[in-house]
Amino acid sequence: MLEFGRFKANTCSGVSRRGFVKTAATIPLALSAGIPSLAEAEEARERAKAKSVLLLWLWGGPSHIDMVDPKPNAPMEYRGPFGTIATKTPGMHFTELLPRLASRSDKFSVIRSMQTSNGGHPGAGTVGLTGYEENAGPIQPNFGSIVSKHQGQIGALPPFFYVGRGIPRDLPRRIEGYGGGTLGKAYDPFLVSCSETGEVGIPTLNMLPGMTPDRIVDRKRLLQQLDATRQQLDSAKIRDWNRSHQSAYGLLTDENARSAFDLTKEDPKTRDSYGQTTFGQSCLLARRLIEAQVPYVQVNWSEYVETFTPNGDFGWDTHIYNFELLQDRHCPIFDRAFSALLDDMYDRGLMEETLVIAMGEFGRTPKISNRASREHWQHCYFSIWAGGGVQAGRCIGESDAKAEHPVTRPITPLMTGTTISELCGIGARERAEMKVLDGGSLIHELL
Amino acid sequence: MLTRLTICLFLALSPALPVIASEPQRVTTDGTNKRDPHFVSDTEVVYCYDEAPDLIRMMRVNLSGGEPEVVYKDSGDKHHIEPCFAPNGRYVVFTECTGNLTARLVIRDTEKSKDAYITHKGRGGTRSPCFSPASDLVVYAFAETGPQQLWSVKPDGSDKKQVSQTEGISNWPTFTPDGKRIVFSNSRENNYEIYSMNLDGSDEKRLTENSLMDIRPCVSPDGTQVAFTSTRDGNYEVYVMNIDGSNIRRITHTEERDDYATWHPDGKRLVFVGERAGRFDLFLVPVPK
Repeated sequence: MLEFGRFKANTCSGVSRRGFVKTAATIPLALSAGIPSLAEAEEARERAKAKSVLLLWLWGGPSHIDMVDPKPNAPMEYRGPFGTIATKTPGMHFTELLPRLASRSDKFSVIRSMQTSNGGHPGAGTVGLTGYEENAGPIQPNFGSIVSKHQGQIGALPPFFYVGRGIPRDLPRRIEGYGGGTLGKAYDPFLVSCSETGEVGIPTLNMLPGMTPDRIVDRKRLLQQLDATRQQLDSAKIRDWNRSHQSAYGLLTDENARSAFDLTKEDPKTRDSYGQTTFGQSCLLARRLIEAQVPYVQVNWSEYVETFTPNGDFGWDTHIYNFELLQDRHCPIFDRAFSALLDDMYDRGLMEETLVIAMGEFGRTPKISNRASREHWQHCYFSIWAGGGVQAGRCIGESDAKAEHPVTRPITPLMTGTTISELCGIGARERAEMKVLDGGSLIHELL
Repeated sequence: MLTRLTICLFLALSPALPVIASEPQRVTTDGTNKRDPHFVSDTEVVYCYDEAPDLIRMMRVNLSGGEPEVVYKDSGDKHHIEPCFAPNGRYVVFTECTGNLTARLVIRDTEKSKDAYITHKGRGGTRSPCFSPASDLVVYAFAETGPQQLWSVKPDGSDKKQVSQTEGISNWPTFTPDGKRIVFSNSRENNYEIYSMNLDGSDEKRLTENSLMDIRPCVSPDGTQVAFTSTRDGNYEVYVMNIDGSNIRRITHTEERDDYATWHPDGKRLVFVGERAGRFDLFLVPVPK
């Protein structure tokens, strides 16, 4: 099922192809400016080890010590309540919350020495996704914007997708580094949502006033409304409107593109394996987008970091109920979905040319708080890497006895972005030409 | 002789012998993310589920069939979790999320249509409340100054006091039917183990000994058995043991998650949340003796 605007319609039969072709034809192709030609894009993809990147963005700050870097010998006020289990990687243990991933650790590598410069969510989110602080000058582009600019768009699908409820944010504000930054809004991600039942939504179309199911059935009225909406915008806004809606209508009118969104085409066993959760089905949608040659897909665990708050959607910011939520909700969902994704991607032969990464913006205080929970901790956290030219089965970096600080070389978000770019065939020269990731170095341990 | 001795030793040392049980009977079919089932009568179960991506709501379902119904339709955007209905039918206690990083205990007096709110200083959240068999006391878990302790309070919200004083994280208290002892989990031995103690914290006894979690104990109505969840066999499964920790029996046997076991009032069956093909539903399963 595909949801567009604020309602749902069947992808295959509920959308009038002709109607949307007419609609799209009224809108200039704003996306053509500044984007590599098809030949250039194909050449870039040939050069890259990773043709696509799939980032699982664990928004809110997942607890490293309670997941992949347990310290069973640390003092009680640090180690937490969870037992440890062996993984397939010699000498590496996870907590008991990740049994499926533990049994698949030969398929990925874990970095336990991540470190970032910012301890607040929006700021750390920007650093985590761009490599730079928000106040260090103009907002730098998201790693996905860099990759999508370099790889270019193939077919009707936009080159950079966000799968999630919205742009990552906390209650006060959204992050600045979510999109194109200095590369321009043309390289912002295209947002689609996916429910636990696999219904895909395109929030871009929500801005159309008065859009209701009966109006979408009436194509003439829809066409008139779209024209009227466009004419109401001033010239500054019209380009943004054109871009987002051209992308939306472009993919709605392309059968192959639409097909990527239709999770009903999947074997039910495959859908089940990911879990009938928003994150699980979002991971499956991401795999379909990767299969359709989208260069960069970022699956956002949640829109809000807040883990237990009215209107919050259970992010990883576990200032309260850290142990309960990790055990009851977050880790079982993550363990199942990520494991299924890895199995599925390997089975389909997608991992050789797809880089898959799971990480958040920081970790959580190894010392348990007075509220029996954990706070923000930017000094040490983790990331997981698989496929796309990285070595699997490695435990990279090491934290100290209390998981407070790396005792090996700290791995930073700038290094993360540089390594992603390099694996995607974006060398130092190309990065310099784009004026991105200046000063970044590679995570050699992964290669 | 050697063979008999070997068999006896095997039986004595086996921590959780598999038990051939009847196939669990599915109670719900919608597959939504569920938690915290709790019997309110012989035929009705209340549980919590994800009504929306940003809302956990309390539901009521009849074991004999029918559509689940929302328990409190006027709860707005507040999450409700871990409900427990008093045996006398007058009170309901649950945890309510009221704001960012804040959750309070609500004890609802259904006769007087009045709520008592149990709060502590600063932010934080209460956990896993339960009623005493006489419906005159609520015990719950909360961390106020470090280790998470057990607390008690009267149904009208008065006389709040700390009842445990131990290291680690204490959680999931449940009363024995005589109301004299509490069975609960604590993490001070490097992972969650199950213990029992008197209401004043004295005479603590350890019931489980395992390197992985033993959580959510639930004492049977006759006080002879404890159902609980453990990951000792690789994932979340439901087990039953005698009240002294002996005779551990594994009740569920799937590669997916089985959790949140609670006793049917007849003491012969359990309802639990089972994950099947990635969906979550309530199941009813008989407990072999």
